[in-house]
Amino acid sequence: MRNHNVKYLVKIGLLGAMATLLMFLELPIPMMPIFLKLDISELPAIIATFSMGPLAGVLVELIKNILHIANTQTLGIGECANFLVGTAFLIPLGYVYARRADYLGAILALLAGTVSMMFWASLLNYFVLLPLYQYALHFPLDQIVSLGSAANPRISDLKTFITLAIAPFNAIKGLVISVFTLLIYKRVLPLLRAE
Amino acid sequence: MLTDITLGQYFPGDSLLHRLDPRTKILATLLFFCGIFLADGYTSYFILIAFTVILVGSADIPAKLLARSLKPLWLLIILTVGVHIFSTPGTVVFSIGPLVATIEGIRQASFMTVRLVLLILVASLLTLTTSPIVLTDGIEHLLSPFRRIGLPAHELAMMMTIALRFIPTLLEETDRIMKAQTARGADFANGNILRRIKNMVPLLVPLFISAFRRADELAVAMEARCYRGGENRTRMKELQYSYRDAIAFLAITVLLVLLGGLRWIAH
Repeated sequence: MRNHNVKYLVKIGLLGAMATLLMFLELPIPMMPIFLKLDISELPAIIATFSMGPLAGVLVELIKNILHIANTQTLGIGECANFLVGTAFLIPLGYVYARRADYLGAILALLAGTVSMMFWASLLNYFVLLPLYQYALHFPLDQIVSLGSAANPRISDLKTFITLAIAPFNAIKGLVISVFTLLIYKRVLPLLRAE
Repeated sequence: MLTDITLGQYFPGDSLLHRLDPRTKILATLLFFCGIFLADGYTSYFILIAFTVILVGSADIPAKLLARSLKPLWLLIILTVGVHIFSTPGTVVFSIGPLVATIEGIRQASFMTVRLVLLILVASLLTLTTSPIVLTDGIEHLLSPFRRIGLPAHELAMMMTIALRFIPTLLEETDRIMKAQTARGADFANGNILRRIKNMVPLLVPLFISAFRRADELAVAMEARCYRGGENRTRMKELQYSYRDAIAFLAITVLLVLLGGLRWIAH
């Protein structure tokens, strides 16, 4: 990164600022536990990935989550989750788009990102994030699960919590940010490329 | 809907905590968090509370502001209390329907609440007494030893500083674009989800474009002033440790030794 020019730093800084702003516009989704909230703060990171590669996108995610910690509702665990899941979305996205940079390529890239995000979110929640809540707050796992069953009665244990809450939530999130990306990226990207 | 965002919560002042070096404050906060996780008994919680009271006393921050910092986590606190009171087995105190409260539960719940409240209060003290820019500067200094293994500490800090600087600007810009588009008949509040997404596009595209324009201008301005990264960069305000920082480190070390000792005796 040492060799990257000032423009690279500045663009990532500004996209990070935009992402931080968008992160405050979060909405809970019906049928989902309250701590899963939808926002479109991945959008600037996607634009950064399309134009400057996955590392740029991951840096935007990093800035966004560090700055959001000041307003955290979950002692930073939510921000940590958002960063990891966002990274899981951006790396395949950048990989696919680098090979095919047209409209179809963008659709395939977003699809790959969404699938990867679902997979990693489920895995991370099962093995790392939910146990972390348990460790840091002595919050029993079945209580987290019961937060889920309050929203959707078919959630009964950790496995159904993952398959009926975490995975569909990330599918919806992927779908929504993909729609946004496809709507705006063509109008925005040429400006970012113009040097 | 966007105007009530406050990022960070710096409250300017001239207290002992305000004048500490940001590096000291960051490290001491992290060590205090370790201390919280070391505590396991009435005495250690009492010491932690006393330490926090002294900290709050030497910070000169209005109590109302500190109380406000607890607000975003009230849900988490209430959930934690509820879960612990009613799900710990032990001697029954009272019961509401199927929920049974126990002495052990109440004890556990109060420990967890104290733990959470102290965590939040001390973290807020850090952000209340340190401006975000100074905080970023402190983080850069603390991360700079890791430059040897390829961590771009200066670049990261620079990007965070730029982001911090432009959040209020972009906020204002968003507000202006929203008003402009509303005047042209755009509707941001009504309709089903699909409509709302479509309605966000005329807001997001100008916002992106304005952000890129600002990025270009800033990059030109920085290059014109011969900015070329962290090497040999000089600063207007150098961070400097003073005797206060030594006192702070001494205090946090004593705290950790006390808590560690108590834990060791208890086991």
